[in-house]
Amino acid sequence: MLGGLIEANVSARPEKRADFDELRARVGISARDAEEAATLDFEGGHLTVSGGLLEGRRLTITADSDTILELSNLKIGPLGMPVYFDETGRSVVGKLLSGKLKINGMLRVGLLNRVTRVFSVV
Amino acid sequence: MALEAFSPEWAEAYKAEINKSDVYHQAGKGWKWTVGLITEAEPDKGVPEDIGLFLDLFEGEARDVKVVPPDEARQADFVITAPYSQWKLVMKKELDPTKAMLQGKLKLKGDLPTIVRFTKASQEMTECTSRLETRFPDE
Repeated sequence: MLGGLIEANVSARPEKRADFDELRARVGISARDAEEAATLDFEGGHLTVSGGLLEGRRLTITADSDTILELSNLKIGPLGMPVYFDETGRSVVGKLLSGKLKINGMLRVGLLNRVTRVFSVV
Repeated sequence: MALEAFSPEWAEAYKAEINKSDVYHQAGKGWKWTVGLITEAEPDKGVPEDIGLFLDLFEGEARDVKVVPPDEARQADFVITAPYSQWKLVMKKELDPTKAMLQGKLKLKGDLPTIVRFTKASQEMTECTSRLETRFPDE
């Protein structure tokens, strides 16, 4: 579903295409409560989704299913940064601070922002 | 009095429950598409054939909810398909629909970004089913 979401997003929103074409990274997403995980290999305009968390990830997002979908509802502001001060943004920040949302590789801010932009449906 | 799951009377009650919900009314603003819910047959559980439910949802209101032939439900803008036993778990709040979609237990057809944008609305629709007094065919 996550791979399909990103591909549908990129097809429908040309402004996300540039980010998608630039992205070259292995990203993991793990939904704790659903016991589901996937590895997304972004290869400069091509996405491969594999089951499970493969080695060599530069970014790994771990949360419950609701939070993972909440991430996709983060608005993107005019400078291409996620908006963290509206209701959804505050909820995401709260979960980050409480540990309900874990992002390994979070210091790779450029990569995180790019993945967030590609993932965002808003 | 309990209503038989997925019967025309149940569909009417579901429509009324959605329209009573302020949460849905707010969360559903902006939604302008039809939804088909397909219950796949499980004859050993009293569901001998597939059942279709067609929901005409518009801007936070359920304009119509009706039982239809499954092929008609499949013509909706968004179609969610699952076996009867999965729908029963969702309606009893024993299976979270978000988790179920991520696990592939509820199969989704339609524009994914749009449906993800309305997660709150779909969660409230699940809450609405759980508030109905429902009689399940295998109970």
